[in-house]
Amino acid sequence: MKKLLLATAIMSIASVASIPLAHADAKWDTVTDKAKGQTVYFNAWGGSDNINKYVEWAGAEVKKRYDVNVELVKITDAGEVVKRIKTEKDAGRNNGGSVDMMWVNGENFRTLKTNGLLFGPWAESIPSWQFVDTNKPVRKDFSETTDGLEAPWGTAQLTFIADKNVVAEPPRSGKALLAFATKNPGRVSYPKPPNFHGTTFVKQLLSEMIEDPALLTKPVDKDSFNKVSQPLWDYLDKLHPVAWREGKAFPANNAEMHQKLADGELKLSLTFNPNDAANLVAKEQLPPTTYSFGFTNGTIGNVHFLAIPFNAKAKEGAQVFANFLLSPEAQVRKADITVWGDPSVLDASKLTTAQQAVFNKRAPGSLDEVNPTLAEPHATWVEALEAEWLKRYGSQ
Amino acid sequence: MLKRTLPSLPACLAMLGIALTLAPLIPGLLWVLAPALNVDTWQALVQDNQFASALLSTLGSAVGSTLLALVCASLVTVMLYPGRGWLLVQRQLPVFLAFPHIAFAIGIAFLIAPSGWLARGLANLLEWSSPPQWISIRDPYAISLTLTMAIKETWFLLWIMATLLGEQAISRQITLANSLGYSRAQVWVSALFPQLLPRMGWPLVAVLAYSLSVVDMAVILGPSTPPTLAVLSWQWLTDPNEMTQAKGAAAALCLMLLLGLLILAGRGIWWGIKTLYKNPSGVRQRGLAFKSRRLFGLSVFVPGWLSLAILLLWSVAGGWFFPRLFPASLSLKSFSNADFEPMFTALWLGAATVMIALPLTLAWLEWGSRKHHGWLYAPLILPSLPIAAAQYHVLLAINLDSTAVGVIWSHLTWTFPYMLLVLVGPYYSFDTRYLCTAQALGHSRFSACLSIKWPMLIRPILAAMAVGFAVSVAQYLPTLFSGGGRFATVTTEAVALSAGGNRRVLAVQSLLQTALPLCAFMLAIGLTAWYARNRQGLK
Amino acid sequence: MTTLSIRDLKLTKLNGAPLLGPLSFDIAPGEVMTLMGVSGVGKSTVLNWLIGASQPMFMVEGEAWLGNLRVDVLPTEQRRIGILFQDDLLFPHFNVGDNLAYALPADTKGSKARQRAIKEVLTSAGLSDFYDRDPATLSGGQRARVSLLRALIAEPQALLMDEPFSKLDSTLRQQFRSFVYERIDERKIPTLLVTHDAEDIPHGGNVLELHEGGGVAKIKGTEGASLTC
Repeated sequence: MKKLLLATAIMSIASVASIPLAHADAKWDTVTDKAKGQTVYFNAWGGSDNINKYVEWAGAEVKKRYDVNVELVKITDAGEVVKRIKTEKDAGRNNGGSVDMMWVNGENFRTLKTNGLLFGPWAESIPSWQFVDTNKPVRKDFSETTDGLEAPWGTAQLTFIADKNVVAEPPRSGKALLAFATKNPGRVSYPKPPNFHGTTFVKQLLSEMIEDPALLTKPVDKDSFNKVSQPLWDYLDKLHPVAWREGKAFPANNAEMHQKLADGELKLSLTFNPNDAANLVAKEQLPPTTYSFGFTNGTIGNVHFLAIPFNAKAKEGAQVFANFLLSPEAQVRKADITVWGDPSVLDASKLTTAQQAVFNKRAPGSLDEVNPTLAEPHATWVEALEAEWLKRYGSQ
Repeated sequence: MLKRTLPSLPACLAMLGIALTLAPLIPGLLWVLAPALNVDTWQALVQDNQFASALLSTLGSAVGSTLLALVCASLVTVMLYPGRGWLLVQRQLPVFLAFPHIAFAIGIAFLIAPSGWLARGLANLLEWSSPPQWISIRDPYAISLTLTMAIKETWFLLWIMATLLGEQAISRQITLANSLGYSRAQVWVSALFPQLLPRMGWPLVAVLAYSLSVVDMAVILGPSTPPTLAVLSWQWLTDPNEMTQAKGAAAALCLMLLLGLLILAGRGIWWGIKTLYKNPSGVRQRGLAFKSRRLFGLSVFVPGWLSLAILLLWSVAGGWFFPRLFPASLSLKSFSNADFEPMFTALWLGAATVMIALPLTLAWLEWGSRKHHGWLYAPLILPSLPIAAAQYHVLLAINLDSTAVGVIWSHLTWTFPYMLLVLVGPYYSFDTRYLCTAQALGHSRFSACLSIKWPMLIRPILAAMAVGFAVSVAQYLPTLFSGGGRFATVTTEAVALSAGGNRRVLAVQSLLQTALPLCAFMLAIGLTAWYARNRQGLK
Repeated sequence: MTTLSIRDLKLTKLNGAPLLGPLSFDIAPGEVMTLMGVSGVGKSTVLNWLIGASQPMFMVEGEAWLGNLRVDVLPTEQRRIGILFQDDLLFPHFNVGDNLAYALPADTKGSKARQRAIKEVLTSAGLSDFYDRDPATLSGGQRARVSLLRALIAEPQALLMDEPFSKLDSTLRQQFRSFVYERIDERKIPTLLVTHDAEDIPHGGNVLELHEGGGVAKIKGTEGASLTC
């Protein structure tokens, strides 16, 4: 009797548990059905050839398998897209918007979320979500909760690049960088904020110089901002006179820094993708003696996401595309150094051995060391830092 | 009793077409500039620490390049007109007029950057191992921007001068003034420039308006801390923050006001110069015998040839690092891997724009008012940034943003006036008796135009089409704004890649960008020759 | 008062074919020599050579002398030879007075003195209140007169005229012709006139008729003129 009761209990629980799954499957089928024939305009940073080619590959796959067309719209800064969506909302364009999906994170995500410009929640309802490693910070974006409004796509970490023949012993902290710049005047720089690489560099220095790092996890306090960030400005005031062009001008973006590194005008460059240098060496844009390195105490890392605007025309197509981008096949290919090298957000234990092996591929120039990842400051720090930087150094 | 005739159907269609093309800009501009009509915005603008420097560098580069271009074009004309050197100038001008300014700027950047070709030459001579700490491109005083714009504008002004000097009377005036005892240079200063300059008034305004509001060249060569006012305004207008957007609108309005002030100042200066010409003192100054006039005069094209050469070299280069003077290896990989889609996008956008602009232009010239057509040139003398922003707002309101129709419409705003400019001279001086004869033979006016007038004007019409196509290809801001980033043309690609590291891809896209208008011009010349192959009178 | 002499003038086309010459003639002070011939025979070329305008289409040999000064090797501005074209070519940015002031040599210094001199010249031509007038507002005949005055006020040592009467109607033509010849006679300037119209030939003046292939014919002669072909 007891056995029968137990069996019935287990069976009923099992059947109840399988209903949400079946329900979810049915929902997803509706999405894929609706997505057929849609065109998804994917707005993404177009500054890297590798990324553009990867997205094209993904688009072709999605066309083959789900009959969804993907058009890559290359942008220079996600802020422009945020502005465009906002303008559309103000003009009353509540559907048929020009952006179907965008590559976003940080303060741009925050602006979108607080202004109600996003569609969702949808991120955790797509089938590929089951592979995501939820131990990684995939539900928080610069300390702002994602609430399922954006799906994690990959991770990034601030990494530095140098040439072995020129820089044998690289600086491994902010302080060491200043000493290095003083010994090599005019050969160190960073992209001009508000370019996101430049802003991240400044954030990195702030996290090293600030007295109480815990402040960074909370929203910025306007009243104490100047006092709290003073060590950073003191540092920059010391760095700029020995920086490239004496800190009176800055490279426009990290691609320009790579080019200057290749020609010897700069001795260090930086990137978010730990495998960027390897790609550039393979394309003969950097000499083969290039190598990547990080800071001993860690550099800022983050997760980057995919989001769908509230007025997107092809919401279902966008979800199907996002689902594919999060699938093991796509994530593994993305992490392949010879393709893009952007680390995956998936749980390695849920992948096959062959797939895991791809994560271990190495190529000349890629980052060989493992450095701690520092968390991003809260999104509100970005605007405050950029405004203050422009005020102090934006006009020379 | 005279019967009032109603405008015919073609005339009505013409007016409608032109109204659709240009009229929506007016509400669009008001929309864009509305946030600027607020005292708080102006306060924020003036207090922004980037504003003052941006204003100065914009003013300096715009006035500087315009004046420099005027002086250079004048010098070349004085030195070379009307001999064989002048013919050489006229033969090379079309090539350099078709050379897109972005591609030219990119080539110049390749030449003079600290890791550029000139520096590498010096590095080889002086045995440097790293690039010098020069400040050449993106210098804080916008000198490299000014000089590069000046060169391109010199070519444009030379073309304007060549058109004005095409008349016989000018060379006779020179002979006459010479016979009165005045040397060559003095003849130009005292007798010819006072006649020519007033007729160059509007072209100079167009040049000034362009250099005040240029965004793409300023991004490539101009300063960045802070950028010029046009670039700053553009950055602000695309920022999500509302106050920043308002500052952007105010900055755009500021540019328009600046242009107005500069025009007034120019008029004032001209009025002052005229008083200097009263009561000529009759003093004849000895002329300088300038032996290498032709060499000096033609040197105005040297930067153009160098820029083109360096672009070609980079496009076929393998690995090429400082301080090598020539690439370590040559390969056509950059071409075979190149993305030709931006070129095709620019091609069909341009062709569509010209196909729509041509009937509009012809219809206006035929049935439009001769007195009022000056207004249609407005887009050429207004800063282009506010107009591009206005276009976006208009398209957004009628749901045509990010569509091909929207982008083509936005290109028409500049293509149409330029085609008008090229065609107006030959059109208005066309002998009306031909049309009269055709109509007397029983043809309607429209049919007579189609079969008689327009075929007779085939040469200027094809030239105007080539110019219109080149203008469309070169559009940057309108394609970006109205197309919502969906239409990547060679121009948008080149600017996007210009701050990047892959100079080979950049060189290939720049060359593709140059190839399009060049081919258009050659096609125009070829078609004219073919059409007129048995008809000497059309050549 | 000087004589304008042309010695051994030879014109050859670029392909080597001879156009004109060799030709030599003298023009006495105050004399008006007329050059006639069909179009293309080389009349304008002779004028251009004398005035020093460039002509890439022809090769010219010969000498031109103004008194004792050889002028064909000097630049135009030093030759002291004036020219009158078909079109009046009055500078539109100067008023009538300034057009003349432009030509008036700098020896007359001071704006008051210069204005006086110019007003005198204008009055003598029946244009007394025309100093401040805009050339575009003058009639064809008035413009032609101002044009001649301008050429003469520069005190040239010789004068060339390239069909100066052809744009005027017949009554004006006669008036202007007499006006021109009077002044030339007054100042005793050797003058070379190129024209199509035989009526333009001054009474008793010498004529050089150029024929195709280089032939030259003299039609009339008076004492004091020498002509060799």
